[in-house]
Amino acid sequence: MSAPKTIPKDAQVMIQILKDMGITEYEPRVINQMLEFTYRYVTTIIEDAKIYATHAKKSNVDADDIKLAIQCRMDQSFTSPPPRDFLLEVARQKNQTPLPLIKPYTGPRLPPDRYCLTAPNYRLKSIQKKVSSSAGRISVPRLSVGAVSSRPSTPTLGTPSVQSVTTKVGTPVSLTGQRFTVQIPPPSQTTTTKTTTPSTPAVSNVLINPSLIGSKNILITTNMVSQNTGGESLKRKHEDDDDYDAL
Amino acid sequence: FRAVPDDGGLVDADEDKDIKTEASNDSWGNNNANDGRLLSPSPGSSASAGSNKSAAGASEEQQTLLAVLQFLRKNKLTESVEILRREAGLPEDSLEPKGAESSGAGSGGASGGVDLEGGDASSLLTAGEDQPDVNVVLSAYSQQGDPALYEVYYSGLKRFIESVLDCHRAELSQVFYPLFVHMYLELVYNNHESEAKAFFEKFSGDQECYYEDDLRVLSSLTKKEHMRGNETLLDFRTSKFVLRISRDSYQLLKRHLQERQNNQIWNIIQEHLYIDIFDGMPRSKSQIDAMSGSLAGEAKREANKAKVYYGLLKEPEIELPLDDEDEEAENEEGKPKKKKPKKDSLGSKSKKQDPNAPSQNRIPLPELKDSDKLDKIMYMKEATKRIRLGPDNLPSICFYSFLNAYQGLTAVDFTDDSSLIAGGFADSTVRVWSVTPKKLRKVKSAADLNLIDKESDDVLERIMDEKTASESKILCGHSGPVYGISFSPDRNYLLSSSEDGTVRLWSLQTFTCLVGYKGHNYPVWDTQFSPHGYYFVSGGHDRVARLWATDHYQPLRMFSGHLADVTCTRFHPNSNYVATGSSDRTIRLWDVLNGNCVRIFTGHKGPIHALAFSPNGKFLASGATDGRVLLWDIGHGLMVGELKGHTDTIYSLRFSRDGEILASGSMDNTVRLWDATKAFDDLETDDFTAATGHIHLQDNSQELLLGTYMTKSTPVIHLHFTRRNLLLAAGAYNP
Repeated sequence: MSAPKTIPKDAQVMIQILKDMGITEYEPRVINQMLEFTYRYVTTIIEDAKIYATHAKKSNVDADDIKLAIQCRMDQSFTSPPPRDFLLEVARQKNQTPLPLIKPYTGPRLPPDRYCLTAPNYRLKSIQKKVSSSAGRISVPRLSVGAVSSRPSTPTLGTPSVQSVTTKVGTPVSLTGQRFTVQIPPPSQTTTTKTTTPSTPAVSNVLINPSLIGSKNILITTNMVSQNTGGESLKRKHEDDDDYDAL
Repeated sequence: FRAVPDDGGLVDADEDKDIKTEASNDSWGNNNANDGRLLSPSPGSSASAGSNKSAAGASEEQQTLLAVLQFLRKNKLTESVEILRREAGLPEDSLEPKGAESSGAGSGGASGGVDLEGGDASSLLTAGEDQPDVNVVLSAYSQQGDPALYEVYYSGLKRFIESVLDCHRAELSQVFYPLFVHMYLELVYNNHESEAKAFFEKFSGDQECYYEDDLRVLSSLTKKEHMRGNETLLDFRTSKFVLRISRDSYQLLKRHLQERQNNQIWNIIQEHLYIDIFDGMPRSKSQIDAMSGSLAGEAKREANKAKVYYGLLKEPEIELPLDDEDEEAENEEGKPKKKKPKKDSLGSKSKKQDPNAPSQNRIPLPELKDSDKLDKIMYMKEATKRIRLGPDNLPSICFYSFLNAYQGLTAVDFTDDSSLIAGGFADSTVRVWSVTPKKLRKVKSAADLNLIDKESDDVLERIMDEKTASESKILCGHSGPVYGISFSPDRNYLLSSSEDGTVRLWSLQTFTCLVGYKGHNYPVWDTQFSPHGYYFVSGGHDRVARLWATDHYQPLRMFSGHLADVTCTRFHPNSNYVATGSSDRTIRLWDVLNGNCVRIFTGHKGPIHALAFSPNGKFLASGATDGRVLLWDIGHGLMVGELKGHTDTIYSLRFSRDGEILASGSMDNTVRLWDATKAFDDLETDDFTAATGHIHLQDNSQELLLGTYMTKSTPVIHLHFTRRNLLLAAGAYNP
């Protein structure tokens, strides 16, 4: 305030550079930003060059070290888009395949679950002891038929706990065959297990739409034993592994 | 030695690795490999059309082999000569060296770094150049003459062109800019820094004013390393600049340059320029100025000859039970309808297929769901209440100013029925507001959904959770500024594209992110849903535009061909074509079906930021940083109008619902309305114009301008006509 402010020399150089590049209108903070970037970049390069020089057992940093440092940084931070002929080649291949037909009546058209961001990104910690030596990742809806304590005949994803499941069967079930298709309902379907955090083996009822079973037309009440997670069981059937890092 | 494979298109797999590691003093064989890769598509994209590519390729290979033989012979490698001749099966007499010039050039080039010409000297000119002699090919493999003499060559050419007749001078002056840039880049690329600087200083002032920005970029480029990261310039170096010159002017030029002492510059011209010759009157300066300005020259006539189905798809028949209102089943057969209002584009009167319209199943489109049919009914109802606009009936403009955006507003979109507005911001959020009194609600959680009565009539309201009602919602997820936003036509989804390289799909029912589409690894500047939903297109810094479908995690089509970033992407109303505007100052129209580029429009002098298709699908309007709006006829591939008036970058363009008015919004804080019907009314599309692409643009911008509306320091970045033809505009208040 007392003495007139003089712009430091570096800033004057930056102003000159901007003028040479034809930039006439800019906010005053641009100069600060440019100087910061310059300082950071040059420091990084020189530090890298020092490392290379010591690695090559040289006492001084010379131009080759700097060149190498710049080259490595370019490939790392300042990548450039692929060259044109590469793009043309890739485009040629991709454009050859015909456009896929659109299946009608499929609800929201989204990619397979592993490419979506619709999976829950949390896992509920289980407090109960594991009964079996399973990986215990995904609980399986135990299929119970009438009074028969059946082992599910479909491939299971985990070993369910053998509790008194069979006593909880609600509506009677009509069977058309021995094999049952187990459909874990998608998240948008009605299910009440999402928010229940079991401290005891909570058994809840899941209603499965007949339409999910396809031609079987079975209305089954299953008991889902949520061992570890409530949320995991809501994945669609064809997913068979945890995709917590799926996009 | 390595004979470089030259049938354009085939790329050697192991040469891929060389591209980033070119040392400056390679043997020329190695350099061949690098540049051979860079150049191999250009023979394919230049004169020889795809069909005779193989024929051209074979003769080019022959020429290449002959050139190699000559070179070996010159360097007295007789044994190698014998071996090569025997293996290649070449006859004895093909070794005649022709012309003293080329040998001088050849030996001169062997020492220093050399450039590679992909041996497509044979396919350079469509003027029916006879069999190229070997020396042309040979000289192509060597550096074009002595670097110190570049100034001499250029001045010589300048003197010649200034001495020709006026009518030819304008056309031949087109050669100056590409020649200057290419020669400069050659000097830089071959490490002749001082000569390059001197060359630049001497001649950069002569160039056209609209190339100023390019020249400034060039002036900072003095070493070969500077070019390395600049893909645009690398592409420019390896592609051919297209010039359209009349036959007479061309003959003049050729005759002059083929004289003995001018052979060098003739070689340079042949290497870097593609001269598209037409028969007829030479063009005037103004005509040339209108069409030039792009980084790739103009468009070859044949690039714009493909058939484009610009008509609209037929509207589907919608059967609904009669309401108490004047709702009726829309009947395509044209049977008499009672009280049917004016149909516009809906309710097609024609029973026949429009010959210019694509067939319904040319590309697969999603079927109409019940909700879509209801939307269409609403659309038709609104259309009946639409105001007819015209020069004496201008629309009212309602402006939505974003306050407190602090220059962070980077993208805006409205839904088609104007009920929602979304803004993309530099702080990487997307915000959605409801424009109507109806608030935004999220869908209930699954637990609550279980409890509602699914059979009730208002189930669609019951699934909404009242507790979450609010005027606006914030969508967080991107990790960079959001540059493009697009609502889906059915208002269920929102797309946003960002600097972090992803395009995100958001659900407008749960207000959560559903998918992140990764493909561009560089900022994505624009994205748009197709008018029929399901497909969307995105364009970004990697110079390609991609077509995606919401249910595929990888793009379906890649539209590659631009030399610089793709800044603007728009679908045609029939969803069969995509228009992309780019920083290389061209607009390309791509076919969704097979990814081909069917139109190239040049004429802008700055990066293009706004594109708009007319509702009837025939015309395209484009706006760029040069402040001009250009109008294009898609069917013929011609420029049909130029609207001057804005003084700054145009960021938004929109046609009114019936195509009578074109609205443009710009950084100069104004919205201008133009008379579109008049602009497209009198088109001269006689054979000559269609054949040669010469347009006589009338300077009638003043008559076409219907109104200029200023805002108080708010640049206009988005325009939208409601279904009733009220104009909505949006921008961030920027005091």
